[in-house]
Amino acid sequence: MSYYFGFMHRFSSNWKIFIQNPLGKAGLALLSLFALMAVASFGLHLLGPMYDPMTGVDPVVSRSVGPSTSHWLGTDFIGRDILCQLLEGAKIAFIVGLASAFISIIIGTVVGMVSGYAGGIVDILLMRLADMVMVLPSLVILLIIAALFGQLNIWMIVFLIAILRWPAVARVIRSQTLSLKQRPFIEASRVAGASDIRIIFKHIMPNVLPLAFLYMTFRVTSAILVEASLSFLGFGDPGQISWGMMLQWVWSSGHMFQAPYWLLPPGICISLLTLSFYMVGRAMDEVLDPRLRREGQ
Amino acid sequence: MKKQQNAIIELADISKIYYQKSQLFHTGAGDVVALKDINLTINKGEIFGLVGQSGSGKTTAGRLLVKLENPTRGEIYLKGAPVSGLKGRELKEYRKQVQMIFQDPYQSLNPHLSIAETVMEPLIVHGAGTRESRRQKVLDTLETTGLVPATDFYDRYPHRLSGGQRQRVAIARAIVLEPEFIVADEPSSMLDATIAIQLFQVLLNIRERLGMTFLFITHNLAAAKYLCDRIAVIQNGVIVETGHTRDVIDHPSHPYTKTLIASQPSFDICPIL
Repeated sequence: MSYYFGFMHRFSSNWKIFIQNPLGKAGLALLSLFALMAVASFGLHLLGPMYDPMTGVDPVVSRSVGPSTSHWLGTDFIGRDILCQLLEGAKIAFIVGLASAFISIIIGTVVGMVSGYAGGIVDILLMRLADMVMVLPSLVILLIIAALFGQLNIWMIVFLIAILRWPAVARVIRSQTLSLKQRPFIEASRVAGASDIRIIFKHIMPNVLPLAFLYMTFRVTSAILVEASLSFLGFGDPGQISWGMMLQWVWSSGHMFQAPYWLLPPGICISLLTLSFYMVGRAMDEVLDPRLRREGQ
Repeated sequence: MKKQQNAIIELADISKIYYQKSQLFHTGAGDVVALKDINLTINKGEIFGLVGQSGSGKTTAGRLLVKLENPTRGEIYLKGAPVSGLKGRELKEYRKQVQMIFQDPYQSLNPHLSIAETVMEPLIVHGAGTRESRRQKVLDTLETTGLVPATDFYDRYPHRLSGGQRQRVAIARAIVLEPEFIVADEPSSMLDATIAIQLFQVLLNIRERLGMTFLFITHNLAAAKYLCDRIAVIQNGVIVETGHTRDVIDHPSHPYTKTLIASQPSFDICPIL
């Protein structure tokens, strides 16, 4: 509880630095827009079965048509509403990005803290493992697994991206832990009799969490891109619409250069959503590292 | 060495050598001898001063005593029992009896923990008391160190405290378990003179009320003169002179002690600092 109050106090002063940064402002605005889209996707069923992003087909449309009053962004090749698919895709992008980034920072933070604090042989083993995972090409591995085991569902994809993308987080957290380990308050805690587990989770973790959350924003970006690539190549979850899958349908139904109203929205959304997470991350970076701030801030 | 009846801590022939790593053949060229054959006896209830300049090994001695590091050779005795090789529960028991106050109060408090959490940590770690009794104990201890009213400080965070207040919190953390022996590693060196005097008063109070024994590590002979019953002067890891504070300062026998005394500005004009 008292930790919460301390957090809120720091939060308000850090918020000011964050919001003064133009990158932070733009990133957050864009991110809110996409969040609204994702939230709106939950209301789609209110519009009737015709607007279901997966199964809803407009009975009077049997091919891809451009924007109209009943379909603001047009329809795909069997008469499904593109705007509805786009909203649904925003939801999936958030789920995939945030969930897999969250899992990978949990793994990365724990591995990094243990590795940095323990040192010695534990450190060597964990970091060599991280090196090995780090050089694996995520997309290729996912493609191989998808090819071996058939279509993966969306949570499997989330999990696989997460376990392929933790090493970068682990390395950063490890180096931060190495410097924290030398600080007198850690020694004071050891003198008090605290166990290693307690020191790691009570003293080191609160000090590395801001950094972990910063890296989470960058992990989100890469997770969204991997999922989009996978779906575009036709190995996504067939039961879930995603922006990558929309692009795949444009491609496979031969509308690549015939239907810009269908091709552009998912492509632009993927770019802007990853960009907004990146900008938010850069602004957070500035909060955490005062050296990046301009004079007078 | 003759065992004294009321000795609480004894250092017997303690040496600490930091070996140079990453040498194919160990030549000993880069090794640092921090302490060389140190013999000390600290009696119950006294404040023992360890005086020396920077790099003389005095902080290393303190770190050995709280078992943050282990001596290369020699043995430390707590109330006659050897402490090297303590592990697990025995080490924890030792930590309950020997605590430390660190030099820099800006570095020794975790910025993410409140004052209450910091001071309560030793109690939680050693499973002392109930939730309610711990809270009361923390409040009492904060009062003892002069942080009054304690309830004002209880839920605060270190960044809202001054250096002197932080050091009082560090003292509270060290005494909350009521240890027998406390190593105070230059607790006043980061504070200005008036705050330092207040801090010394706190330490003297604690000794009076709780009967603790202190090893006071300092480079400041005047501070040692103010606080300590006996002092040892250390130079390059070797103790050059030991004795009652007054005797050592009034009649220094070793040239290094004379240099230290001569280097104290206006020692005669200001009797305290």
